[in-house]
Amino acid sequence: MQLKKFLASTGIVAGSMVFGANLAFAACATDSLPASMDGPGGFPERALTMVVPYGPAGGSGQVAQAMAEAVTELTGVSINRDHKPGGSGAVGMTAYMATPADGYTVLEHIDDAASGHALDSTQPNPAEDLIPLVTSQITFSQIYIRAEEDRFTDWASFVEWVKAQGGKATIANVSKEGSMERINMKYITDATGMEIQQISFDKGAPRYGALAGGQVDALFEQPGDVRNFLDAGTFKPILTLLKEAPSAFADTPSLVDAGLDFEPLLRFRGFYVHKDAPADRVEWLTWAFQKAYCLDSYQAYNESKFMNLIDSYRDTEGSKSLITNTINQYREVYKELGLELK
Amino acid sequence: MDVLNNFIGGTISLFSDPIGVLIFLGGVIGGMLFGAIPGVSMLTLAAILLPFTGHLSAEHGIMLFSVIYCTGVYGGAITAILFNIPGAPENAPTAFDGYPMTRKGQAGKAVGAAVMCSALGGTVSAVIMMVATAPIANWAIRAFGPPEIFALVFFGLAVASSVGAKSFWKGWLSVLVGLLISVVGLDPVGGIARWDFGMPYLLAGIHFIPMILGFFAVSEIFVQAEKKVIGSYEAPKISVDFPTLKELIAHKVAVVRSIFIGFFCGILPGIGATLAAFMGYNEAVRWSKNKEEFGKGKMEGVISSETANNAATGAAMIPLLALGLPGGALTAMMVGVFQMHDMQPGPLVFLLSPDLVWVVFAAMFFANLSILLIGWMETKTIINLLRIPFQFLAPLILCLATVGSYAVRGLVIDVIVMFIAGAVGFFLRRSGYSVAGIVLGLILGGIGEQTFAQAMQMLHFEWSGFIGRPIALALLIAGFAALVGSIYNAFFSKAR
Repeated sequence: MQLKKFLASTGIVAGSMVFGANLAFAACATDSLPASMDGPGGFPERALTMVVPYGPAGGSGQVAQAMAEAVTELTGVSINRDHKPGGSGAVGMTAYMATPADGYTVLEHIDDAASGHALDSTQPNPAEDLIPLVTSQITFSQIYIRAEEDRFTDWASFVEWVKAQGGKATIANVSKEGSMERINMKYITDATGMEIQQISFDKGAPRYGALAGGQVDALFEQPGDVRNFLDAGTFKPILTLLKEAPSAFADTPSLVDAGLDFEPLLRFRGFYVHKDAPADRVEWLTWAFQKAYCLDSYQAYNESKFMNLIDSYRDTEGSKSLITNTINQYREVYKELGLELK
Repeated sequence: MDVLNNFIGGTISLFSDPIGVLIFLGGVIGGMLFGAIPGVSMLTLAAILLPFTGHLSAEHGIMLFSVIYCTGVYGGAITAILFNIPGAPENAPTAFDGYPMTRKGQAGKAVGAAVMCSALGGTVSAVIMMVATAPIANWAIRAFGPPEIFALVFFGLAVASSVGAKSFWKGWLSVLVGLLISVVGLDPVGGIARWDFGMPYLLAGIHFIPMILGFFAVSEIFVQAEKKVIGSYEAPKISVDFPTLKELIAHKVAVVRSIFIGFFCGILPGIGATLAAFMGYNEAVRWSKNKEEFGKGKMEGVISSETANNAATGAAMIPLLALGLPGGALTAMMVGVFQMHDMQPGPLVFLLSPDLVWVVFAAMFFANLSILLIGWMETKTIINLLRIPFQFLAPLILCLATVGSYAVRGLVIDVIVMFIAGAVGFFLRRSGYSVAGIVLGLILGGIGEQTFAQAMQMLHFEWSGFIGRPIALALLIAGFAALVGSIYNAFFSKAR
């Protein structure tokens, strides 16, 4: 039975591997950058510090580790990771803003920084109060059900079943009001007329366990975070929150396939430096982080997390554009929701 | 028979590979060492080693982390017993009676009991893990959702309310203070800031490790320093007398009960060894005929806590290996080790990498046995740390506690919290309130609030929904019964 599930799931794995292989051998986004660059005035003379506003075991902790190792591999400069979890990233951001703007301390952060600023403009705007060095992970969300589920088997039957439950159906999601997950779910429920109870799980394991154990009916998540369940054939995606389905999930309906017309919010993770850091140091850091993105080691990591299915790379200007558009989109939704914007 | 054959195969693979043996020994010693240093726990060692496991084989990498997990949980008991500094939160209940035993000149017995029971709890847990990983994991995630976990937490609080307090009411007041502290920070449902007073750092909440270090280690330094100043200080008596076999056998019921509790808590994702240790200790108190002796140096307290927390280690591997669900921070890092080798924990591991699974199972079994061997050997020497004069030992402990508090999240506020907790603990100790109760409320409050919110969402905000969930209902009824019984005793028992 397990072998059957495994073989069934290899379609997904094989698809992504082919895509990843193509990506690995194709020209990478930063190949045009010089292969090496001397730091200005001997910079950096000591190890860099990377403030990570989340714990070491989660998605941010892992991408911070992968990028830090890639930069070290490229430049020989060590990077110490300083994890400051709490407050949905607010604690790490506050701690980072208090560090000297000398280029020796960089920040890892996710789209929570954009949504945080959208809700409260006194919070730093990552596109204006910081300089994005690189955005190295951009991913989409999906709705998952148990593979063995027999009450519904695809998106259409799921929507029909949820509507028949009169608000009693449940989906595991992330807790914070106004988060990317919550806003995307609002888009979905508004577009389909579904009424579904969202259950708040802020940690991955209990969230995935809730679906695997049948405590909830569905799960909202990004594919890289549940890859082991997809590879094992335990979970099955029934909706991809993208206009067009990526080849690895060709059999899963996209928003267009499902007749849903909205612009989904994406999860993105990137690296930043103080806007007042010396320009020549920022230039070197930008080169180092963008060039490290294309190292095989980092690309292999991204591939393992399904981060190669859509273009995961944005340079400084691309990152600013992504962040600014995201902030504007969040603000529009927050106004619709009646949330008080500061 | 298959299990035995697989186990023998795993054992041969483990010990016929010289590099594997070296990694195994490194993990055993490293886990014990880092587990014993407060704040700088086995998690610190795991985080340091994580990048390097990419250079090891998958088998060696996973095995190393498994071994660190087993011995790290035990290592924290030593400092908890000798200096009242739990090396990790799961060793906090060990200090309740372990440190008073040290003050009474029974350090050898306390450490010996911790060695024996950690090894026993961990070994039994490893055996159950080998025999029944898949069915237990599948049962646990189906039977235990947020309503059941909330009910378990409620039950834990109800039976533990008076731990370490001079009266039922002081015990409950202590627990309620802990519960109140646990709501500082973002709420677990809407992400709404509470009790942050406009300070961003408080959004992260009050972490229980600085509180534990403050209440136990710092306040103890203050207490001993006061005694030194007024001239009533007595250095702890040095004793390397191990517990006798007869003494250990006398506690067989406590051991079996704690194995059951520890294993049960360990298999629940996100719960783990800390709750296991508290629950093991609390149940020991609840079923004891001499409740008033707990907290004053009763060996059964050490036995119950250390058996339960090590029993949780093998159990925590069950949801990880069978379902890919890490139960805590260290098992979450193990997912990272799997991923570094292009593997994912879950059912496919058993199918595609049975050799790896059985080497890991064998390594955990022998790591728990090695606690017995190495722990026994080190006990005679480590107790001599008590010979260090207080004026040298106290600053060293304060330094370690400060580093340990800061290391948790890299926040200065955690160090401040630790010293405040130390000062508060100094006064609470002489007033009959329970610092253990506050810590219990803080730890269980975080889990309880979150699972209560999830349970209410799942049950559509209808309390009657608990009736349809038999396990949750049974635990709630048991909790209420314990509570009513305690209140009755508080009013009518002569002992109170």
